[in-house]
Amino acid sequence: MSETASSQTHDPQALHEGMTKVWGNPRGIRALSVVNHSTLGLRFMATGLAFFLFGGLLAMLIRAQLALPGEGFMAPEIYNQVVTMHGTVMMFLFAIPILEGLAIYLLPKMLGARDLVCPRLTALGYWCYLFGGLILASSLVLEMAPANGWFMYTPLSSSQYSPGLGSDFWLLGITFVEISALSAGVELTVSILRTRTRGMALHKMPLFAWYILAMAMMIVIGFPPLILGSILLELERAVGMPFFIVESGGDPILWQHLFWLFGHPEVYIIFLPGAGIVSTLLPVFAGRPIIGYGWVVAAVLTTAFISFGLWVHHMFTVGIPQLAEFFFSAASMVVAIPTGIQFFVWLATLWLGRPVLKLPMLWILGFLVIFVCGGLTGVMLALVPFDWQVHDTHFVVAHMHYVLVGGMFFPLVAGAYYWLPLVSGRMSSERLGRWGFWLTFIGFNLTFLIMHWTGLVGMPRRVYAYDGAMWGFYNVISSLGGFVLSAGIAMVLLDLVLHFRFGKPAPHNPWQADTLEWAVSMPPNPYNFASQPPVETRHPLWNTPELPRTIAEGQHDLAMYSHGRRETLGTDPLTGKARETIHLPGNSFLPLFAALALAVVCLSLLVKWYPLAALGAVVAIGFLLRWSWINGAHPKAAPDARVQAGAPPLHSRTMDGPGLWCMGIAMLANGALFLSLLFGWFYLWTVSPAWRMPDTSPLPWVWLLVGGAALTVGMLWLERMVSRLRNEKDAGLASGLFIISLLGAVQVAVLIATLWLAPLSPTETAHDAVLVVALLYVLIHGSLAPVLSLLQGLRVRYGYVGAHAPYEPAIVAWFWRYTVGTYWLVFIAVVLMPGLMGGSS
Amino acid sequence: MSASRYAFIHPYHPLHLVIGLIIWSKWFVIMYGGLSVACSVAPPRPDQGALTLINLGLGVLTLIFAALLAWLAWACAQSARQAEGRPRFFALVGSGLYVASMGATLFVGVPVVGFPPCI
Repeated sequence: MSETASSQTHDPQALHEGMTKVWGNPRGIRALSVVNHSTLGLRFMATGLAFFLFGGLLAMLIRAQLALPGEGFMAPEIYNQVVTMHGTVMMFLFAIPILEGLAIYLLPKMLGARDLVCPRLTALGYWCYLFGGLILASSLVLEMAPANGWFMYTPLSSSQYSPGLGSDFWLLGITFVEISALSAGVELTVSILRTRTRGMALHKMPLFAWYILAMAMMIVIGFPPLILGSILLELERAVGMPFFIVESGGDPILWQHLFWLFGHPEVYIIFLPGAGIVSTLLPVFAGRPIIGYGWVVAAVLTTAFISFGLWVHHMFTVGIPQLAEFFFSAASMVVAIPTGIQFFVWLATLWLGRPVLKLPMLWILGFLVIFVCGGLTGVMLALVPFDWQVHDTHFVVAHMHYVLVGGMFFPLVAGAYYWLPLVSGRMSSERLGRWGFWLTFIGFNLTFLIMHWTGLVGMPRRVYAYDGAMWGFYNVISSLGGFVLSAGIAMVLLDLVLHFRFGKPAPHNPWQADTLEWAVSMPPNPYNFASQPPVETRHPLWNTPELPRTIAEGQHDLAMYSHGRRETLGTDPLTGKARETIHLPGNSFLPLFAALALAVVCLSLLVKWYPLAALGAVVAIGFLLRWSWINGAHPKAAPDARVQAGAPPLHSRTMDGPGLWCMGIAMLANGALFLSLLFGWFYLWTVSPAWRMPDTSPLPWVWLLVGGAALTVGMLWLERMVSRLRNEKDAGLASGLFIISLLGAVQVAVLIATLWLAPLSPTETAHDAVLVVALLYVLIHGSLAPVLSLLQGLRVRYGYVGAHAPYEPAIVAWFWRYTVGTYWLVFIAVVLMPGLMGGSS
Repeated sequence: MSASRYAFIHPYHPLHLVIGLIIWSKWFVIMYGGLSVACSVAPPRPDQGALTLINLGLGVLTLIFAALLAWLAWACAQSARQAEGRPRFFALVGSGLYVASMGATLFVGVPVVGFPPCI
């Protein structure tokens, strides 16, 4: 399979022009079809910045209202909307997306790759983020914004107490935005593991990649519980399925569990990339490698896992048994240890290096001071008695801002100043930057340090008016500080804007950094590397300073463009040995169209035009299936399998390409959602006082057995076909795939009949409502599995899949395995177990 | 059934960076879930304090998991001594993470000694 396609050139200018033809971005309306990671990363960051300004404006409105005790600046209902939207915008539309944007922009450059592994998914993620964010933000303009606090506790957010559209805007808009987060989580994980340049073994990759790997996996596991919670709450509001209504067998505390199962890891999802920026920049300005690379890796992984064991510390006052509270209290203290390890690593690196106090370093010092304070108040809040005292006061608001602004915003600005020359080719103003830093630092502490005292003397959060004699002094200082803070941020933004016009041209690698992103041109070209260099050290530019030249001269891997394909190396996740040549899709409108169709679904659900929502969903699925069609050996993808002499084979001609990994990671996210659903089932069964389990299951178990058997036979048949493909045998592949689809269709028919005929009352009892959601879950998967098999059968007939291109059925097999697994788990949990354990109340 | 099929249990495999923490997560879920179910099904009398079968069960479970993690930490540390480069890195960091998981298990499990389970 490995033949020479055509001659290659090593003339740098010709190579650059040829690569640009293949990788370049179109202009005009076609710019909407761009899938390049650099462009999309910048779009993510620019959009995140716009939402940051929006959220910041809301913060200023809050501080204006609270500046004086009886201020009539805002009506209470507007104040509630502004407070809710400030938290929501900052968390969901600014913090996470801008960090994802940074990772999307930087990671391929740091890893020596040309793009992320799924460029169209990057684009879909961006459009979902933009449209979801706009839908959510529009609610405030329409004066219909959610007003229940950014965590939307039930029953306040339920239709009984929030009858307007505010909660619906939040639930639908956030779920739409989370498609973006999950797509980034999946592709960042797979890109880090599978697209590092040749030789970059796992233990040699930049620390920033470890941090983003942890963040991405946390998104994959942590976001689905909230997505499930949002679906359940929206179902309750829209059609009356009582998941959170006590008298019908539901429980509002279930919402809190689902929200904080996401919400606490979320804090670390935001903090870890911030810490990753620190671990990247600090050694550069200390002029030496970081002390304790292995310690940092261990600390990052420990933080990522332990952070999932803390969620109940947000619920200490809801009446959970003391012993359980102390488990979470102890875990909340334990998580401080890995963070402490990182601090000592940073201090040791500074101590043993020769630190230079450039502007990015100033922001890192600000981070060190503020985040330590936030971490210490975090340990205070982990103590149950103290938490009871300050629960729902301004102390918690102060702590949260110290952690989030200190842990994320300060490193982010440090990173912005550090990587700005890479983006623009120009240096920012040191003087304006220092003014910006000091105003921000002083303003921030003036606002939030004093807020600890405001809380300690008892001022509750989320009130629009207060007792001036008790809290007036503190609040006026906080408001003054807030405006100083705004002036500082305005100064930073002014500096960023002005530097594009007036900044001095930056020298190459202006900070003398060690990582590979500084080996690309400034500003970066769309293909990053004209040839992909071998890297076997953690500090490629310190050890091989001539890399930028040799890369541009095409002296390394894949210095070829005449085939017209976008290619990047696929490597072994552990050793970095080159395994495949990954061919990437070119620019496409399909992600935009799919996101537009999903936006129609979102808006239709909002205004309750359900037929239009169904139509939008079908159209979106159509676009996504068309997207999957243009892959592999398709004429618009890679019909010609020849590669450069010595290069590994195209990934679509192997059995282990990155798509397989993407499916695996996507199923992890799917599994987290499924486990959250099972958790909800068992939680309500165990805890809800009005839960009623019937003596016999209302579901026809014999029919469900038949459906499950058909599905299982289909999966086993598919396994056999994949096994034969591994041995390069494809006789009977198409007809086999068609029959497998038919077996899947049998199961779909059984499930539809079950849903239609079973005596379920999903609007009357939480029990039946959960059953319906569980059945719909398996029905959706059980419907998609045969459609995918059918498409594979058609692709075999078209010649896109077969022994010569065996890889796609292996991906579909993963989906079938998952579908069969969840089918039987649902059968055991909702049909068998209640029967075996007896109907109980 | 070649040996490479079981490569993931080799001390030099990077999966050891997460196995200890996954074990800790499972232990944590069993502790919290088990406590909730036990309190729902058979809550002890409040005047029994911490001297209950639930506390005993959770305590024994904690010690078993801690012992398992300690053994894994020791095994990885032993393997790290005999290796260089990448294998040494993963065995050493893996060992450290088993120790961290064991510490987290013991520290988070300590409250079963002194607190009644269902109040």
